[in-house]
Amino acid sequence: MANTWGYGAMTNHIGDMQNSKAIIIFGANPAANHPIAMQHILKAKEQNGAKIIVVDPRYSKTAAKSDIYCRIRTGTDIAFMYGMIRLILKNKWYDQSFIQDRVYGMDEIFKECEHYTPEVVEDITGCPKEILIQATTAYAAADPGCLIWNQGWTQHTVGSSNTRLGSILQLTLGNMGKAGGGCNILRGHDNVQGSTDMGCLADTLPGYYGLAEGSWKYFAKQWNVDFDWLKARFKTPDMMQKKGFSLSLWIHGVLDEANNKNNADAPLKALVCIGNGISTITQTHKMKEALDKLDLVVFIDPYVNDAAVITTRNDNMFLLPAASQVETEGTVVNTSRCAQWRYKVVDPLYEARADHEILFDFAKRFGFYDQYIAGMGKGDKFVWPDDATNEIAKALKTIGMQGRTAERIKKHTTNWHLFNDTSLKGRGVVEKEYYGLPWPCWTTSHPGSPVLYNLSLPVSQGGMGFRTRFGVERNGESLLAANGSAPVGSRIKGGYDEITAKNIEELAGITLSEDEKKLLEGKNWKNDDSGLLNKYALEAGLAPYGNARARTIVWEFIDNIPKHREPLHSFRHDLTAKYPASNDNPNHFRTNVRYISEQTKQEWVKDYPINIVSGRLVEHMGTGTETRASKYLAELAGEMYGEIHPKLGGKLGINDGDMMWVYGTGEGKIKIKCKYGYTVDENSVFLPQNFSGVWSGESLEKRYPGVTAPYALGENSNQITSYGYDQQTSCPETKCSLVRLEKA
Amino acid sequence: MSKVDFSRMKFYCDETLCIDCNGCVVACKEAHEVPVGVNRRKVVTINEGIVGKEVSVSMACMHCTDAPCQQVCPVDCFYIRTDGIVLHDKNKCIGCGYCLFACPFGAPQFPKDGAFGTKGKMDKCTMCAGGPEETNSEKERHLYGQNRIAEGKVPMCASMCSTKALLVGDAHEVALIKTYRATKKGQGIVTDSYGW
Repeated sequence: MANTWGYGAMTNHIGDMQNSKAIIIFGANPAANHPIAMQHILKAKEQNGAKIIVVDPRYSKTAAKSDIYCRIRTGTDIAFMYGMIRLILKNKWYDQSFIQDRVYGMDEIFKECEHYTPEVVEDITGCPKEILIQATTAYAAADPGCLIWNQGWTQHTVGSSNTRLGSILQLTLGNMGKAGGGCNILRGHDNVQGSTDMGCLADTLPGYYGLAEGSWKYFAKQWNVDFDWLKARFKTPDMMQKKGFSLSLWIHGVLDEANNKNNADAPLKALVCIGNGISTITQTHKMKEALDKLDLVVFIDPYVNDAAVITTRNDNMFLLPAASQVETEGTVVNTSRCAQWRYKVVDPLYEARADHEILFDFAKRFGFYDQYIAGMGKGDKFVWPDDATNEIAKALKTIGMQGRTAERIKKHTTNWHLFNDTSLKGRGVVEKEYYGLPWPCWTTSHPGSPVLYNLSLPVSQGGMGFRTRFGVERNGESLLAANGSAPVGSRIKGGYDEITAKNIEELAGITLSEDEKKLLEGKNWKNDDSGLLNKYALEAGLAPYGNARARTIVWEFIDNIPKHREPLHSFRHDLTAKYPASNDNPNHFRTNVRYISEQTKQEWVKDYPINIVSGRLVEHMGTGTETRASKYLAELAGEMYGEIHPKLGGKLGINDGDMMWVYGTGEGKIKIKCKYGYTVDENSVFLPQNFSGVWSGESLEKRYPGVTAPYALGENSNQITSYGYDQQTSCPETKCSLVRLEKA
Repeated sequence: MSKVDFSRMKFYCDETLCIDCNGCVVACKEAHEVPVGVNRRKVVTINEGIVGKEVSVSMACMHCTDAPCQQVCPVDCFYIRTDGIVLHDKNKCIGCGYCLFACPFGAPQFPKDGAFGTKGKMDKCTMCAGGPEETNSEKERHLYGQNRIAEGKVPMCASMCSTKALLVGDAHEVALIKTYRATKKGQGIVTDSYGW
């Protein structure tokens, strides 16, 4: 997403789905995982006549509400989409003027799609060609159409290609930048967008600033600390600019000494885990080994993290009870970039403390408390969390947070009832503003931007073109938007570069005073503390980040255009030669990651002949640490199971209700109950991801301290998910795995 | 002359909107602190996983006009309010289970945790209208749960329904909502979501 048009975020918002005429859902199950989002989808269907198209290996609760259901084999979405694009091309259903004005490199995609005839797509995906044609016809005919995805797309070795091709499909049809269209990513849980905005990533600083020296210097200034002091915190200067271990790969930094060379010649020695269900990552059995081996493990969580009972270490592990969301205060950001204030309801109970207090205490004992709070600029007289919120607003200019002050966010939350949920527009005291000030919100009088890349609104009211992020030209071809393609009211009627002190006078048609010139020397829209660049840009109807083309070609990536690649553990071994995995990557987030060598290691499907389909249950959240501790939710979904088609059960001699062993391609194995059902095909087993607390047939209940064990315990399905990580982002492959089933 | 009130309180669940999220079930249990094993409300899914045929619907006591439970009860513990809500008196109930045999919907529930697993007093959906004890008294809350109707509030299940599939209220009003939805089908967005 970010590599296609500038920002990696949902482009429209949840209520906006109501404006769609067709909604295509890939790798997402909002009926189970986002029931409220499902309300908007069903409303689009009923009131707006939208066709609902679901592409999924499993006939989910969402699929049960669809007009057209396409069952595909896991990990074949790219082939399916190329099949769609080919049909769109052949039938001339594409949006010619949109592509001409706002897209770079569509020819390459049109070339690549030629291979994916309906017959080829049927062979790869298993979806009958008639259904592909029916789905494409319905989707292309709709104006606008909205595309939804979730972890069913991102958690793959080719997850980054899935999301890129989805974006390209929307570009092909001209569905971007308008109400009812867009790419609507449903985030996996509360505040995912907020935490990535804050830089909870291995390869960025907050606000998606990179790790280059310039970014660090910028943040040193924002945080009111000395750059050299910051630099000295790193073992060697080059470590400062290196990507870290990612959430999915840290275990290899503990276990595999060969990775030490990527990590300043040292293995990882300690882990501090704050509110993360780390057992939702693949290969939990390896995670156990890593946790056992570390020198120190700390969990900060309102509940006992299930990883703490999975490890068998008996020293140097600490569980710090954290306050829950109702016992503390601050902002949360939802999937559609809107912020909301979360007021404190009660003080933390028992020994629990709010996360920030725990972190402040750490900082004091490590001796950097003064620097830690310096960014708020008030010494230790700061007001939490208001001053921190304002610091964020001040520092995160790349995503236009300048307008999201604590005061404005609180005003929106308090006047929640005054906003329309289809348009997010407010009335009365919040007239003309959009709920939660969806970023970019360029200035303290900007209303927020509910639909990204929308040309039909002036920039000052939430409009913008695509971001100039990849330069202004490539191989002699301009990457800027064509003439005539600019937001309403723009002084420049075509594309332009990002705003800098150098070009503001020419682009905005102004003359800077000498004082302003001095203030802005060497500045651009991403580091201008004075706010002058944004002010003048908005007055001239210009987006501070420029106005460019979306690109289909990402020249920095392994796959310049998205390519179908068979999963590392493919159910169709015969296709792996034709659609091979990418080359092994010796330093992927500091880890040596196997791709082609893992795929070709053996004919996996021979020994592990069953495909898994993984997903969540509506009752549970993530690892279920919190929800399995609720007696009513545990009553409704209290037992781990694997769902198979009765025909597969018959073939394997496993009856409905029998216990069965599931063996993964790694060393893990789990013992679970067999449930007969019809939601997956005859070669697959559906495994819910929400259980933990039972380990290869053995209950870990006794390892929970005191009375902290949840009501429902079950085998963790990630013990048997296969090795594999996204070739760009390192997101774990939880979706394509092979297993062997045996009656227990 | 005083106006005669002909209202009859009814549930309606739209199976084209119900997504089997069980929000209604959990909302009910949390609100009334119903013991585990007793389900005043359930979501039933038929033809699960069969393409094009799967349907889910949320079910509880249907508050029948001519309630079979009332007719078969040997101790006459049932009573029907003038607004049609079917309630019962737990002090009279002997836990015989006749009502369960008579009910076409499987609504009556019995605790299963007593000595020898014997049936205790029957429990069922009250449409959040409590029971015969003094309204909003501690005793009423303990035996029957909240009395939201007396407070002018919507029953918990319908107010929590994520897709607004489950409706409750005077049968006439519910029918009007359904008619409104049917006539506005495919005509564009006409309502705010949370009142949909």
